[in-house]
Amino acid sequence: MDYIYVNKKLKTPIYKQISNSITKAIDEGVLSYNDKLPTEKEICKTFSISPTAVKMAYEDLILNQKIKRIKGKGTYVTNRYLFHTPLHEFYQVDTYINTKDLTYQYQDIMFDYIDEDITAYRMLKLTKGEHCYVILRLIKANRNPVMLQKIYLPEKYFPKLQHKHEESNRLYDLIEQKYNHKIKNMNNTFSPINASSDEALLLKIEVDDAIYFVRSKIVDIKDQVVAYVANYFPGEFTEFEVMVHAL
Amino acid sequence: MRSDRFESISIDRRSSVSYDDQIKESIKALILDQTFYYQALLPTPQQLAKLLHVETELTEKAYKKLVKENYIKYIDPKGYVVAYFELTNYFFYRNIAIYDAISALGLSPSIECIEKKVVQLTDAELQSMGFSTGEKLFYINRIYKGNDKPIIILENYIPLSIFKDMDKKFTGTEPLNAYMDKEYNLKAKLSFRVTKAVNLSSKLASILGERKNAASIESTNKVYDQFDRLIDYGQSHTTSSYYFQALVTREEMLSYYQKEQIPLTT
Repeated sequence: MDYIYVNKKLKTPIYKQISNSITKAIDEGVLSYNDKLPTEKEICKTFSISPTAVKMAYEDLILNQKIKRIKGKGTYVTNRYLFHTPLHEFYQVDTYINTKDLTYQYQDIMFDYIDEDITAYRMLKLTKGEHCYVILRLIKANRNPVMLQKIYLPEKYFPKLQHKHEESNRLYDLIEQKYNHKIKNMNNTFSPINASSDEALLLKIEVDDAIYFVRSKIVDIKDQVVAYVANYFPGEFTEFEVMVHAL
Repeated sequence: MRSDRFESISIDRRSSVSYDDQIKESIKALILDQTFYYQALLPTPQQLAKLLHVETELTEKAYKKLVKENYIKYIDPKGYVVAYFELTNYFFYRNIAIYDAISALGLSPSIECIEKKVVQLTDAELQSMGFSTGEKLFYINRIYKGNDKPIIILENYIPLSIFKDMDKKFTGTEPLNAYMDKEYNLKAKLSFRVTKAVNLSSKLASILGERKNAASIESTNKVYDQFDRLIDYGQSHTTSSYYFQALVTREEMLSYYQKEQIPLTT
């Protein structure tokens, strides 16, 4: 609670001093997403101030979307990055995350070699026994996950991938430049799903929270599905927009 | 239908693929990439044959194959229209009524009105929706069903200053866009939508026949008329099994990936 500073001799109202110091702590990174704030009672006691002042401070912060109350659990920092893109540009992290003071990172947490996966193999038109690489990749903005990707790359299109793959590789560069497959299009299916416990952990959300699930089939000019990507976006922090012009 | 869209159809006379199959495949591609969308009228086989400088017999053959594959259908006396369709591309990309979209899926559509009333929202609420302060709104809450199963729930807020007395005339089950056009001569010119994945509240879940917290696609829509006025603020929630598709073309990907890459931090 040492990020809160109260000086009762100042003219600034006490509730403002509290909300200002918490805002400052969030902006400077002292407090980050999902950090728990002290209870109103704890602040009252420490600073010997009225419950009204603390209540007002928290209401001010909630209004400014810096913090949120979770019933029965407490008050948490919620300054999380909202990924907002036109629907057709959902994969363009460069354009939408690398702006202002945000930077994005790729973090690969698994590299696997499989010979079966019902859904992915159906998408890729592979049969059981054929080999396929799987990369589990997190894309983050200021340490918070923006999306989780399960990338499936069949060995027949990406031979010796283990030697050619690098963490910083964009999927497009890998497909077009390293392996010379010419992409024709990407066919995406958008649907809502509830987070399982492992998905929730990786996306820093709660179990059962809504996820915007986007399955992408990448098709080359020979009409082969060269890659399949399952994208998981935390629902609360993702928005896709569409403009529809009447014809 | 503008005939210049057919100029992308060209026949390769040296190819081993028959001419009618070439015509068929080209039209199929134009339907799949949504150049021709659901219910669009195609030229007659005679018109197309003339355009492509081939025998009518060939275009007729191509159309027959497309009918067989359910891409197009013949409607008497209109002619050949596109029959292929993905539900969502219609919800999200075209101003086609959900009612028609459901029937195009082969389901029998129905609309059930849960509630309709005149509401007076606070100025802050009105402003955040994009209406002027003091505006009286007509609130309609309806559920769209296919074969009696819920598909999507819609809540609309309609300004009564534009739609005078609509609260007295609208029965609740008319398709909205058609009603606005017919009764008020106002057309939805532009619709701006933001979609999110959300957990259903217990109220919405019970109406949609889902469990509380089931994941749903929420779409917040602002519709503007031919005079650029906000004529409808709406929010929809789908059932959890709902999905939609969107195709990203090579050109769209290239315009992004061929830009200068900003260095990554890993």
